[in-house]
Amino acid sequence: MNQLNIEPIAKDKIRLEVFDNGAGLTVQFVGDIDMEDPSLVLDPLFEKIHQGMVAKKIPFIVADFKGLTFLNSSGIKAVAKWIMKLAMLPPDQKYQIRISHNKAITWQVTSLPTLTFLVPGAVKVE
Amino acid sequence: MLKPEGYIEIRFGPRWKYISPARVFIQNFIAIALSDQTKADSIAMAVSELLENAVKYGASEDTHCIVQAFPQTGTIQASVTNHASEQGVRDVQAIYNKIMKGDALEAYIAQMREAATRTDGKSQLGLARIRYETGADVKLEVTSDHLVTITIIVK
Repeated sequence: MNQLNIEPIAKDKIRLEVFDNGAGLTVQFVGDIDMEDPSLVLDPLFEKIHQGMVAKKIPFIVADFKGLTFLNSSGIKAVAKWIMKLAMLPPDQKYQIRISHNKAITWQVTSLPTLTFLVPGAVKVE
Repeated sequence: MLKPEGYIEIRFGPRWKYISPARVFIQNFIAIALSDQTKADSIAMAVSELLENAVKYGASEDTHCIVQAFPQTGTIQASVTNHASEQGVRDVQAIYNKIMKGDALEAYIAQMREAATRTDGKSQLGLARIRYETGADVKLEVTSDHLVTITIIVK
């Protein structure tokens, strides 16, 4: 479990889990996100994470994509939507999203760095 | 144009569940044809995005995909064809004209920002993603009877 009390989610070919990670959190993605409308799963999860990060003033979250073998563009849209929420926050409520990726998975190398351009300073690829 | 040294042709009814096995099949085909796993991965992603669009927005029960390999030049040509409604044709032409302008990365970022604010359930990110992530030459053809073909050529 984690300090935001977010339960693990298993749906279709994807498993999502949130862990405490020192002063921050980790959200781990394992499997494939290639369903027709991933926003049904991802939007509510990202909203819970976002609200919790702001309310508890958690400084960072690691988005661990290392076990995610495929992410379709509808899934990228959901991640982008989460990141764009950071642009609306006042400076004292901002937190950082640290993307952890697997260099052996081609889509991660080409897709994930582009997310850093959405809201300058909000996302870091590790 | 050189003759392909290998090709596959897939036809299926527009059902979401067939996209994932088609992607894996195409990925394996390209990896064997070109001995290039990175290219296989990125083209399989691209074809998967095109198939998703065909299934989501297609107006008939037929999606047609051809992938051709040219190992002499390391080139892959892939095309996905489906019937679209009149509105569907207008939509794909508009998005194509928009994302093909200017720098591929800038077009992709702009499209991601726009997608994040959409409320109609669409992402309209697929073509921008393909153009940026594969570096493909992307072509759109529409016939008078609304048959839409998107072809990508990756060298």
